[in-house]
Amino acid sequence: MSEVVVPKTKDSPTRTGVKRDYQGKEKKAMAAQPAADHPRNAYTSMFESFRDELDEHHDRRMRIGKVSRDVTSISKKIVRKLSQPIPERIQTEIDNRLKEIAELLSTIQADVQGMNRQRYPLICLEEFVEAVSFAHYLRHQTLMTPAEAQAALPADIQLTGSDYVFGIFDLTGEMMRFGTAVTALSGSMPTGDGSQKGDGENGENDEKRTILADMQDVSSMLQTTPVLGKPNIYAKKLDIMIEQVRKVERIGYGVTVRGNERPKGWMPDLNEGYGGGGDDITMAD
Amino acid sequence: MASDNSSNMIDPAIFEYLKAHGEEEIEVGDKLYQISAVLNRSISTCQGLLSRIHSTPSSKLAPLLKQVEETGIQPEIEGVGELAQFASKYPYYKYNHKWSRSTQNVVGTILLTAWLGGMGTESRPGELGRLLTIEDIGEILKVPVNLKDRDAFHVTIEEYLLALTDITEELSRLAMNSVTMGDVALTVRISSFIKDLFAGFQLLNLKNDIVRKRVDAVKYHVKKVEDVIYDLSLRNLLPTAE
Repeated sequence: MSEVVVPKTKDSPTRTGVKRDYQGKEKKAMAAQPAADHPRNAYTSMFESFRDELDEHHDRRMRIGKVSRDVTSISKKIVRKLSQPIPERIQTEIDNRLKEIAELLSTIQADVQGMNRQRYPLICLEEFVEAVSFAHYLRHQTLMTPAEAQAALPADIQLTGSDYVFGIFDLTGEMMRFGTAVTALSGSMPTGDGSQKGDGENGENDEKRTILADMQDVSSMLQTTPVLGKPNIYAKKLDIMIEQVRKVERIGYGVTVRGNERPKGWMPDLNEGYGGGGDDITMAD
Repeated sequence: MASDNSSNMIDPAIFEYLKAHGEEEIEVGDKLYQISAVLNRSISTCQGLLSRIHSTPSSKLAPLLKQVEETGIQPEIEGVGELAQFASKYPYYKYNHKWSRSTQNVVGTILLTAWLGGMGTESRPGELGRLLTIEDIGEILKVPVNLKDRDAFHVTIEEYLLALTDITEELSRLAMNSVTMGDVALTVRISSFIKDLFAGFQLLNLKNDIVRKRVDAVKYHVKKVEDVIYDLSLRNLLPTAE
């Protein structure tokens, strides 16, 4: 049995490990800048300037990517909290989250100006549009316009057409969830005037729009307008949206035909009939 | 009826917005496709002509390069000019993936021609082994390079680096063929050039992207040339001056 040699590194307590040669002796620390050891040739300085440029580009991309992930998760939290009507407690929480988003986006504002706006993926803006447009829909039962979405963005960052339209695609998913939940709880489709069933019988609004009609409107609009943004993503999101509309249509049919036979709180089986796929696609950031 | 309903829920301005933006993207895409198609034809012609370097002895290289410049590179420059003029009207990074590969090929053909001794001007005659910088490329193509302060067409550093990996591949092939054609000195020249470039690539901090993938392949170009040099040195075929 050979004895175990416990290395003692009193002289360098900060180092976590020590490189040793085959005899167990400590190796001299390698030169900190190996580049300095390289023999220089005619192209070295050219490549060094490229290195600096590329480093700057990669750093910027990392910063943007990190903020984008954070803003995405905050936006998703806002969406999860939203319900109708929006209570004050939730509203303050949403306001706080929007403040967080504003702070995060302000750190990369300079990185995404001008030409660089289209250079780096900034998926979080789609999620942001989803969150604010859902809140907007719950308040006003209308679709948020691009100008309103841009105004809601708490940073001086340009919202592109594809940010907006992909956010609206995600909105229909939230509308489906909301419509399903409310239908299950109240026994009827949420209607356009936003008031709770039973206390809003004004009579002036004869045909109340349901959330289903709204989803159908959004869906037919996005099917008639030309493709915006990356075509394959657009096609995928369009298919998912159409499927979501069909799910809500089945629910609408179900409550109309058999609504009274079902107890309140009954959850419709979304898988009846031909089932659909997922309702959201995630993209690599 | 449908329009009445949608006017409740959807502001017509949204419809107009989506239509305008979508139609612009489609129109720009179509036009870029046309411009790129013309440019890519010029690139194919140029690359085809340049491929003759592998069967042209050094003594007859000058006339070939002249032909490449006139019937290959000149149309490329015109094609890039047309592309630059159109593309500069729109956000650069929104569409640049549609032509980035073409730009890279154009830069590659120019770099290779110049390295072999072509692309001479009155002030700077062509000479063997001359590597044009990205700024030289910008002057030849009459476009900006590595643009940062405004949004317009330009040649990026990535495109230039990728073009460099194209010419190391082409030269590694030429290193072998020039031995066949009896010009061992050119092979030695290529060997030292590729090694210098390889050392340069080592300085870059590459992330996991296309540049890294292509730069990783350069070591195989180096190896290919080293194998040729090894064969030559084994048989004492290398010039003694070296």
